[in-house]
Amino acid sequence: MSSEQAVRGAVQTHSKRVWRFALALSGAPDVADDLVQATCLRALERHHQVTSHERLDSWLMTICRSIWLNEVRSRSVRRAQALSVTPEADLVAIGPDSETNIFASEVFTQVMHLPEAQRETVMLVFVEGYSYREAAALLEVPIGTIMSRLSNARRKLKAVMQHDAADVAQRSGK
Amino acid sequence: MKFSDETLMAYLEGSLDETQCRAIEAAVEVDAELERRMMALDPFALVVQGVFEGLPAQAPQVDLPEAIVPVPSNSGSPLRLLAVAASVAIVAVSATFWATRPAELGWAQQAALYQSLYVPETISSLDSSPESLDDQFAMAEEQLGRSLNRDALEALPGLDLKRAQILSFKGKPLIQVVFADEQGRPFAFCVIRQGPAAPNKEVKQAVLSGLATAIWAQDGYGYMLLGSDAQTDLGGELDVLTQTFSG
Repeated sequence: MSSEQAVRGAVQTHSKRVWRFALALSGAPDVADDLVQATCLRALERHHQVTSHERLDSWLMTICRSIWLNEVRSRSVRRAQALSVTPEADLVAIGPDSETNIFASEVFTQVMHLPEAQRETVMLVFVEGYSYREAAALLEVPIGTIMSRLSNARRKLKAVMQHDAADVAQRSGK
Repeated sequence: MKFSDETLMAYLEGSLDETQCRAIEAAVEVDAELERRMMALDPFALVVQGVFEGLPAQAPQVDLPEAIVPVPSNSGSPLRLLAVAASVAIVAVSATFWATRPAELGWAQQAALYQSLYVPETISSLDSSPESLDDQFAMAEEQLGRSLNRDALEALPGLDLKRAQILSFKGKPLIQVVFADEQGRPFAFCVIRQGPAAPNKEVKQAVLSGLATAIWAQDGYGYMLLGSDAQTDLGGELDVLTQTFSG
């Protein structure tokens, strides 16, 4: 398989997780749409840089974050702030019952209200399952910083979760 | 140092003191197995993942170009290289455009974005011999359907005419005339044919994509002047060009 084919395949396979990461970075679904598109185009342009076909997901995440930081962020910050007062609960997938939905939308809102650095870390580790050291490499910070960001995020999420965490985990069968 | 699951759980729930937390974090830094245990115990990760893993409901729409056709390596003529450079610039512009569009960009914003990628090196090697300019202006004026008043453009003080290039915005011909200023930095004048229904617009100055610009529209054509940076004073050129292109 050529590196171009590998990159096209990775784009197909990982577009949802790149989108979630883009959402965590930008805080806005429409900016996330555009970031994914820009990331995939950029990745395809740079397919010749790919030396290993493994972990192309991290490579896509790195490109996405670099486009966000260097090209989009300054223009989107004002809009992201505007978003913080807009309920985005309709984004959350519909669960089996309304109580779960309310809880899910509270968690969603809490996560989206975290500072950007905590939000991107939470998305990579909690949602995408990157290890602390993988996230540290991707975000170019020490592993201790990853752990302290997650601790701070947990503290803020605790208020929402302490009521229902066990309940939801049980219902979702995990 | 060994840490029990209970201790790790207490850390995750935020109920350990500062010293104990630092000890655990220091241990995790050098112990991948401890890290794995901690991640597996994390109740927050489970819940947050449950909320986000269904998003987005459908895979995002991604438009990728078809397979890239390699450029033959034995055709290194300047024109060919220019075409390659232009296509790279267009890909860069469209990627930036996609990434940043808060709303649809107008022709002026896009022209500014494109122009902002120009550096002195972009224009220093252009062939601006009278013969080349003759050809470029003939083609550009034919596309545009009006004169570009080359004499007036060549007489602009402090600017050296480098090239007239045919671009297109939503099917409308857009001509970019590039100059070098006294320091060799790129400076541009753009004209787009908008059609007879387009309203006239007074001169409006704004900084777009980091460049000082002035935009106006008259009799179905849009005009734009782009300085070499955000501070460029466009006053002198603007006076001449609004006179020259007044109808």
